[in-house]
Amino acid sequence: MDAIPSAPALSFLPSAPSRRGECVINASSPPPAVELHGITKRFPGVVANKDIAITVRKGTVHALIGENGAGKSTLMKILYGMQKPDEGTIAIDGEQVAFNTPADAIARGIGMVHQHFMLADNLTVLENVVLGGEKLYGIGAKARKKILEISDAYGLGVRPDALVEDLGVADRQRVEILKVLYRGAKILILDEPTAVLVPQEVDALFDNLRELKAEGLTVIFISHKLGEILKVADDITVIRRGTTVGTADPKTATTKQLAELMVGSELPSPETRESTVTTTPMLKVSDLTLTATDPDGVVREVLAGIDFTIHKGEVLGIAGVEGNGQTELIEALMGMSIPDGGVISLDGKDISTVPTRKRREGGIGYIPEDRHRHGLLLESPLWENRILGHVTEEPNSKRGILDPKAARKDTERIVREYDVRTPGIEVTAASLSGGNQQKLIVGREMSHNPKFLIAAHPTRGVDVGAQAQIWDAIREARREGLAVLLISADLDELIGLSDTLRVIYRGRLVADADPATITPEQLGSAMTGAARGHLEQDENAAGNGSDSAAADAPEDEAR
Amino acid sequence: MRRITRIATVGVASAALALSATACGGKKSTDTGSSDSTKAGTTAAIAYDIGGRGDQSFNDAAYAGLEKAEKDLGVKGAEAEPTEGESDADKVQRLTELARKGNNPVIGVGFAYAPAIKKVAAKFPKTTFGIIDDTSVTGPNVANMVFNEEQGSYLAGVAAAKASKSGKVGFIGGVEVPLIKKFEAGYVQGVKDTNPKAEVLTQYLSQPPNFEGFAKPDLGKAAAQGQIAKGADVVYAAAGLAGSGAIEAASTSGKWAIGVDSDQYNQEGLAKFKEKILTSVTKDVSDAVYNLIKSVKDGKAQTGEIRYGLDKDGVGLADSNPEYKKMAELIAAVDKAKADIIAGKIKVKTAP
Amino acid sequence: MMKIDKDKLILGAAGPVLALVSAFLLTAVVLLATGVDPIEPIRLMIENASYEDVQVLIINQTGTYYLAALAVAIGFRMNLFNIGVDGQYRLAAMLSAVVGAAVTLPGPLHILLIVLVAMCVGAFWSGIAGILKAKRGVSEVVSTIMLNAIATALIAWLLLPKNLGVQPEGSNDLTTGDIAESGWFPAVSMGDSGEIYGFTFVAFALGILYWFILNRTRFGFDLRATGASESAAQASGVDAKKMILTSMLISGAVAGLAGMPTLLGDTHTYSLSFPVGVGFTGITIALLGRNHPVGIFFAALLISFLDKASASLDQYGYAKEIATIMKGLIVIAVVVSYELVRRYGIRRQQQKVGEELAAGGAMKTEKEVAA
Repeated sequence: MDAIPSAPALSFLPSAPSRRGECVINASSPPPAVELHGITKRFPGVVANKDIAITVRKGTVHALIGENGAGKSTLMKILYGMQKPDEGTIAIDGEQVAFNTPADAIARGIGMVHQHFMLADNLTVLENVVLGGEKLYGIGAKARKKILEISDAYGLGVRPDALVEDLGVADRQRVEILKVLYRGAKILILDEPTAVLVPQEVDALFDNLRELKAEGLTVIFISHKLGEILKVADDITVIRRGTTVGTADPKTATTKQLAELMVGSELPSPETRESTVTTTPMLKVSDLTLTATDPDGVVREVLAGIDFTIHKGEVLGIAGVEGNGQTELIEALMGMSIPDGGVISLDGKDISTVPTRKRREGGIGYIPEDRHRHGLLLESPLWENRILGHVTEEPNSKRGILDPKAARKDTERIVREYDVRTPGIEVTAASLSGGNQQKLIVGREMSHNPKFLIAAHPTRGVDVGAQAQIWDAIREARREGLAVLLISADLDELIGLSDTLRVIYRGRLVADADPATITPEQLGSAMTGAARGHLEQDENAAGNGSDSAAADAPEDEAR
Repeated sequence: MRRITRIATVGVASAALALSATACGGKKSTDTGSSDSTKAGTTAAIAYDIGGRGDQSFNDAAYAGLEKAEKDLGVKGAEAEPTEGESDADKVQRLTELARKGNNPVIGVGFAYAPAIKKVAAKFPKTTFGIIDDTSVTGPNVANMVFNEEQGSYLAGVAAAKASKSGKVGFIGGVEVPLIKKFEAGYVQGVKDTNPKAEVLTQYLSQPPNFEGFAKPDLGKAAAQGQIAKGADVVYAAAGLAGSGAIEAASTSGKWAIGVDSDQYNQEGLAKFKEKILTSVTKDVSDAVYNLIKSVKDGKAQTGEIRYGLDKDGVGLADSNPEYKKMAELIAAVDKAKADIIAGKIKVKTAP
Repeated sequence: MMKIDKDKLILGAAGPVLALVSAFLLTAVVLLATGVDPIEPIRLMIENASYEDVQVLIINQTGTYYLAALAVAIGFRMNLFNIGVDGQYRLAAMLSAVVGAAVTLPGPLHILLIVLVAMCVGAFWSGIAGILKAKRGVSEVVSTIMLNAIATALIAWLLLPKNLGVQPEGSNDLTTGDIAESGWFPAVSMGDSGEIYGFTFVAFALGILYWFILNRTRFGFDLRATGASESAAQASGVDAKKMILTSMLISGAVAGLAGMPTLLGDTHTYSLSFPVGVGFTGITIALLGRNHPVGIFFAALLISFLDKASASLDQYGYAKEIATIMKGLIVIAVVVSYELVRRYGIRRQQQKVGEELAAGGAMKTEKEVAA
């Protein structure tokens, strides 16, 4: 271990470093909190880090942006001691360091809040915080005092005795942040912290970050949501293809400019304005009900009275915080679970009891929310993945016998048409990046001319370029009469792509909205259950979060 | 040419033939020679049953016969062990190899060798093949050595009935196969003939093809404890190595045990419990093996069924325990039963 | 037609080769440590295997092992661990021998009947585990182990003379009675060296069928997909429960055949000394052969070689358990080396994909801009 750093002076620097085009910040005066120089990591994956240079000023929120797979996470793992760089130096508070393990990084005041929370559900907040850090302030009154102290200082509002399982996502995230602060972190790394939050919660998080900053802490904020970054960041560094390609000033930069830096191309928009909605119903769901039995024997309604119709050429968007019945709805539509009641009909035919394979043959396309679990055979070659889900259909097989030749040929076509970046179709699906995996899935599902497409988070974890392609594919099919059920956590995508919007909350469709007029904030408040019924445009002016119920709008027809 | 020395050590076929086998790569392992060129009776081989040498029972008894022949007759002995779960083809291979190396006689220990001996004996007409516990395979050069286990067991039944005070006695069979059923049949008949009111508790330790019941003493121990708990005060275990567990259990609870195959009172491994080993039903496999080897060496090879019964002392009841010798009434009853069986006055059943 | 990927082939072979070499080295270490000449037993085994009659034994054993391993592999391909092959083939051999001995039919029909009975019995026995798994979620590992024990007891009971068994005159064995000659499978005679069971060739033909069904049919694709990812297969339209039952039934049916080479080619009866343990060896072989029909063939050949070539080691003063040690070490080495090779393969491929993409990156980027 290196020598213990001298007590860092809490300095508030006026934000005035010299920034020239694509150059690296070279703060001359007090030492920056973090300085990465020439970091190179030859990582046996698709993307490595190459000659990365970043300077993070003390007491700022520094955003690190880039497409998925650009190398942000690898870089942060290096900074957090989870991986060692092959070349380059890391300096903390002006002092060169070498981290072998995260423990070394923690000792130097670096803390990381992971994208996926690492909390024990059945323990209290206090227990979760002290877990593994018992030596710091013990596990009793002293620890509690410390937690409350931190909570008050940064406005985290944490209740030490609440059970983690009772907490919402945003609260859990605050516990994670507190956990890191409790261990003495002065530099916080937040990996995609807003991915799981609704807009209101994002705002609250940003307030917390500002508090942290005000207390002299440094925050490194990883994201690819450009709008948010402009709101909260003091400095922005852009990473593309594993290297730093530039910095930007949030005061002057626009999302468009940032996007161009990120991908070297224009930011695509999910906007879909010309309506192709017809009056022919394609998918009709009425009074769909599903119950599940908890491990402790309690029967719970996961879906209740779900009613909707999707017409040919219509995209129905469903908004909702994850875990409110979206997964169950998809599974019921796909025939992977058997609902307790209700009727599903596709193109006029009742398919309520039809098995999954017949539904797929009957024209349901499926872009699953978890492509690794439901969309791909990771260790199989691409051409076998092209067969998956459509094994009984042309060109994959004839009369029960596979036709690998035709399947390979068609895979090559998909790779070409959907720009799946791969050296060939014999590589395993696992060796592709997430975006390319998703393009393959979209290409596959579109190749069978579906009548109805379930698109669950179709662009999650996908880079901006691929995002545009996927949106284009959906739009094009919609023009030709495809009915789409779109489920997404990306509210911009949802609003931009949908013709009709519904909000799912605790297994019920509680509200509907017109995507032409709704704002993400309004939608967000409905997602938390605060608003019901038809969400009107003029309610927006009155502020969100209010009960904007034009109570019980016609549940069946959204338009 | 290490092979030659090796073969010479084992004392098999002529060096020249072995050399030719090695030199030209050999077509078949059975090419190297046949007993026809060797003097009969100079080498003898036994192929063991599952468990092999060291099972303190059946196979060891056969080995004792071979050992005695080596010592007394100057015969060279060869042995071969089976692999668990093997097929008849493997046994054929084993016997063939032993025969072509010039061993004469070749003895298969156990009835499992019957199908194999049937095939191999025809191929080596000048070699004598012995098989223990089987008469189903016959031939001019096959000697079937069989024992009247039921007769020995009958005597054990008489002794058990006389020694029992509770009127309850136990029988523990190793594996539920016809051979062990013979032991059971004789024993039960002996008990009932002596004391019609006596009760016999019967238990088998395992079912074929699971032969653990011959090998695991803990199984025998548990079974004996169970029978003793139900009131049995004499336990007869025909269960190979597993029987030693039964003897231990009986001895520690102060009840009588009856051993099997060899005189277990004199077995070192059981010295701790020998006080309570009332007697043992002996089955003189070693003598049978020795006799066959001797007959071949003498040029008067035994063939056909050679039955070892009470009359030839091929089976019998051991009397090494001094306690046993003190039981005059018991001995009288046993002697009378023995005489009756030899005289044919008592017919002992071979199946329960 | 088949694209032969050289890399894939080398990687595929690397696992077994690595396993075998390390197993042989470890065996040598064990032998040295116990003061035994490590080379001589192996030399003797190789010499034994050069004899034609031993070769016949090896080939016949390979056929039997091949069938058992195929049965296991079918389960493995969809993540089902059919440990019950042992019980399935024994019960199947026993009952089919009973049926075979009870009837007399013209040759081919007689054999066909015996084979069909064996397949049905095997499938029935494994099907119990399949139903338990599909309907009740009972682990097939547990249920098939239990069913092995039950099969043992059931066979012992059925084989009693008062039930289906026969005790031949003068024998202490119990059999099912002899199958008439019309029910004997024609064999290839090798002269004095014995004969190769005709059913051995059926076994190898079945390997080809296995490959075809698995790689060229919809059913096979569904099965492999289920094995690779049950959730993805389910989403793709595979009825997982039906798949579990079907593959268990097929696995059991093939397991039922494992006793056929011996029954139809040699013993013509099921007796107390019918070979046991073949099913467990099949697990080793399927593992070693990576569930691939060609791999399984070589694995079966290797294990048969170890079995048969070591059989007479004790006559030269070496313990034949050397082969058992070697087999055990092979299993351990296989598990370790396959995992190593698998990880290396994944890393290598990711690297390659990365490199190739980086090389062609510029072109693609322009395309992306255009899009």
